[in-house]
Amino acid sequence: MVAQQLVNGLFLGAVYALFAIGYTLVFGVLDILNLAHAAIFMLAAFATWSLIGAGVPLALAAPIAIGGAGLLGIVLDRIAFAPLRRRGAPNLIPLISSIGMAIIFGAIARGIYGPDERQFTLGFLQAPPLHAGPLTFTIVQLVILANAIVFMLGLAWVMRSTALGRAIRAVAEDRIAAALLGIDLERTIAATFFIASALGGLAGILTALQYNSVQVDMGAQIELKGLAVIVLGGMGSITGAVIGGFVIGMVETLAVVFGLSEWRDAISYGVMFLILILRPTGLFGKRTLRTA
Amino acid sequence: MKRPAPYALALALACALIPAAVVGPSPAATTKGPAAGKTVKIGVIADVTGSAAVYGVQQKDAYDLANDDLKSGLLDAGGANLSFDVEDSASDGSQVANLFQKFTTDGSALILGPTLSGEARKGDPIAVLAKTAVVGTSTTADGITALGPCVYRVSLSEAQVVPATVARTKAVWKYKTAAIIYGDDNAFTKTDGDIFKTQLAKAGVTIVDTETFHVGDKDFAASLTKIKAAKPDVIVLGALAEEAEKIIQQAATLGIKTHMMGGNGLNSTKIYDYAGPAAVGVVVGAAWSINGNYTGNASFVQRFKKKYGVEPDQFGAQAYAAAQLSAQLVKDGKASKDEMCAALHDLRVAQTVLGPIAFDPSRDVKAAPVILQIVKGGFAYFH
Repeated sequence: MVAQQLVNGLFLGAVYALFAIGYTLVFGVLDILNLAHAAIFMLAAFATWSLIGAGVPLALAAPIAIGGAGLLGIVLDRIAFAPLRRRGAPNLIPLISSIGMAIIFGAIARGIYGPDERQFTLGFLQAPPLHAGPLTFTIVQLVILANAIVFMLGLAWVMRSTALGRAIRAVAEDRIAAALLGIDLERTIAATFFIASALGGLAGILTALQYNSVQVDMGAQIELKGLAVIVLGGMGSITGAVIGGFVIGMVETLAVVFGLSEWRDAISYGVMFLILILRPTGLFGKRTLRTA
Repeated sequence: MKRPAPYALALALACALIPAAVVGPSPAATTKGPAAGKTVKIGVIADVTGSAAVYGVQQKDAYDLANDDLKSGLLDAGGANLSFDVEDSASDGSQVANLFQKFTTDGSALILGPTLSGEARKGDPIAVLAKTAVVGTSTTADGITALGPCVYRVSLSEAQVVPATVARTKAVWKYKTAAIIYGDDNAFTKTDGDIFKTQLAKAGVTIVDTETFHVGDKDFAASLTKIKAAKPDVIVLGALAEEAEKIIQQAATLGIKTHMMGGNGLNSTKIYDYAGPAAVGVVVGAAWSINGNYTGNASFVQRFKKKYGVEPDQFGAQAYAAAQLSAQLVKDGKASKDEMCAALHDLRVAQTVLGPIAFDPSRDVKAAPVILQIVKGGFAYFH
């Protein structure tokens, strides 16, 4: 049973990690929380569902929706963040602005799709489960894990080995210095929003496929989990978001194993608090110097 | 091109209308009751948006259908100008309270709703203070009618449904052990889990595992893996449809073939739509059957499906039953909020799509539960 539970935790953690990377990327670059990230997560799932309903195969529908999510991220930045950035608004204002955009996106989705849960009619979602010794899992779960790993490694490569990644890291480190070095701030920020939102969209599509469920409110729970993950992993740290995602997924699963299902969420946040007491910047967060 | 003669158009129109007249429902004759000519507004509070919208939309649709039926004469309010004013509580407790404030001060004769038991605990006391009667249509948790002397419900409570469900399934399945999985953050699912626990213990069944979840959860793999290891004879679901369908589907994925059962929350065709063959055989203790042969039920189902393109579920049926009850009260001449509470108290019987209903001294509905089993594409009676 424990081996199966660890596999359960692994699958859960993969989606948390993928979702949280988007949060942490934007936070790392702009020092703000984009609370419309969960709405993009939801809209990408609906877009995929609509495209499949229109006869587009999943292999094409998912990339289109992911690309659409990325572009929506750029639109989000242009509407909700860029004007405030230009006026030097304090960090709380864009946070509220992103909540407003999340509500607008939710209202649009509810107006189009209504409150009911939508399901995919894809044959492979009904495929019988696979067995490996004592372990049981589905093809969808394997697809999710593989996608999560590939995209996380891909992002790591982009951040480490490409000019764009270096630009993003430079802007995250010091925006003014990056601008002085000739980095186009607005383009870099737009690229960050594109990548973050595309990954959020991917997480939304994978979650929708895993539970065969697309709903307007589907982002509500993962939004809070995503926040816990990035705080645990260290605000702005991509490695932290990945590790934090898997830690939260495992902790939730193990809470059930130990007969504490009613305390599951409390335990997850308890672990988060414990780590913050030991490491106030999270597992991989950078220490910040307070200046007078 | 030659234009068709007017009489040809008239003939074509008549030919088109004749079949509609033959197959369409024939309006019942509207009687002239003591409230004839009076305007009676009834306030309806339903979660049309938000997390409970999956139930509230069915309720709103049922009241909209009832408004249509009042106009067409299919629902008889004795010549009174009765209407149901549906407002969206958005699955938000504060909005529920606001709407109770509104309906207790805007001349509404009666309040129907809200959707959830937890919401009723917030809103009903406002109606009690304002001496406005409330009829719940989907509030099934313990203690709802105890909130006030004019708080009624047409929904069978879990305390009424679960004992019959346990008795019938135990007689057929002859189980000795059970595992329970229920939502611990929702008044309905918590009540469901608690009552199942009590009734199973009374029936001599050993509970080998108890798992909880939160409403909105999607991943039940960890809890189900633990339940599987405990090897129960039956698994009890204290859940609403959205979580139940995922629990059933994920249990099948994990190779769990144990009997499953639940209460009112599982009485939704969505369960089969989502979980497919995995849901076949699940037993549901409920207040209403789509196949029930009560007067007007088949017609209600047919009209609902025609208007909205989906079948009504229990939430829709119970809402329509409340509309029928309201129409009967108005037809009997009760047009003000002062008259409604006494009329509900004195009600002998009302014919509804749930069957004939009345209220017991604690203001809970008196009706027989139905024990259903999910079959391919729907429900059948469980024997």
